[in-house]
Amino acid sequence: MLVKARGNISLYEARGSYQLDCYELKLAGEGELQRAFEQLKQKLFSEGLFDENHKRKIPLYPERIGIVTSPTGAAIRDIVQIISRRFPSTEIILFPVLVQGENASKEIAQAIRDFNVFNKVDVLIVGRGGGSLEDLWAFNSEEVARAIYDSTIPIISAVGHEIDFTIADFVADLRAPTPSAAAELVVPNSIDVWNTLRTAIESSHRIILENIRNSFQQIHSSVRSYAFHRPFDTLRQYIQKLDEHQTTLQRMSEYSIQSTKNSLESLSLRLASLNPQAVLRRGYAIVSAKGKTVSSAQQLRKSDTAEVQFHNGKIFVEVVG
Amino acid sequence: MAKATPKNSFESSLQRLEKIVETLEEGNTTLDDSLTLYEEGVEISQACMEKLSQAELKLKRITKKLDGSFELFDEKLNENE
Repeated sequence: MLVKARGNISLYEARGSYQLDCYELKLAGEGELQRAFEQLKQKLFSEGLFDENHKRKIPLYPERIGIVTSPTGAAIRDIVQIISRRFPSTEIILFPVLVQGENASKEIAQAIRDFNVFNKVDVLIVGRGGGSLEDLWAFNSEEVARAIYDSTIPIISAVGHEIDFTIADFVADLRAPTPSAAAELVVPNSIDVWNTLRTAIESSHRIILENIRNSFQQIHSSVRSYAFHRPFDTLRQYIQKLDEHQTTLQRMSEYSIQSTKNSLESLSLRLASLNPQAVLRRGYAIVSAKGKTVSSAQQLRKSDTAEVQFHNGKIFVEVVG
Repeated sequence: MAKATPKNSFESSLQRLEKIVETLEEGNTTLDDSLTLYEEGVEISQACMEKLSQAELKLKRITKKLDGSFELFDEKLNENE
């Protein structure tokens, strides 16, 4: 620890040694810086600059990334290299600043404010490569802290080595232990995004095919279903009835024809038996006189002539008694 | 970290795609609707894939002019530290 001591120097002549009677002692160098750091940290903490619920969410897929750092130096080189590898379809906009020395904190704070006015980047990375406490001092300034806090663009701090914690780290929306780490955090890996896209389409495709298959099945079972067949069944029943009626009709007409035939047959028979020729053939004869049929004995007297018709001819007769 | 509201079209496209897949997986869409959603999903994913296949990182430097406006220049990193 470095200290600044104020006091009186006295000389002990006999030994030739000097002595400092100290009446004031102060931290100096790193010690002083450390104390200033603690003080500012406490002050800003109590003002709420480190509050978790003030921190903005870092976008998952930034299209434009703003970087506040030195244009020379390893930080910007590492960031560009890593983002090139991981997610090259993005744009990096560098705002070159001093990252140590007197004017550094002013330039860094102004760059952050300027990016907010420009307002065309999705996220900012603010940082530098490793160095001593003095080298990093700009990132412990109140000016930079307030610029980070006021930024509406989310900010990732990326200062120095893994173990360094600056005020900027506390205020930032996300702290990266190094600029390289920031580059890994700020963009996803293109391959992962590619896989996500492919999986999304494959899943959707599979679901669509299933939906189509289900729809076909539904159609098939509808067609096979009872409700779908009702009209056909009804129709079939009607057709059947029609058939039956037709058959009945057929049978009935056949029956009536038959019975008519039968009647006709018996009538013919009866008619046949009524045929006078048949009667004559049985031995009867028809007697007629003066052209009229004689049907009783009283109609003829002695010596009357009459005609007797047999089945095979007629004879003339004279009545004898 | 919770999901941020998308600030750009790439991110909102991916969120929309995620929503489409979720909806399809729920299984409550009609065949017509699911086909429409699928078509949209394919369009989105193709646009995103096109964007992803852009293999050249764009590096620019921004400077502020005297009038307060900004200008962008293509930047090439010099190798010296």
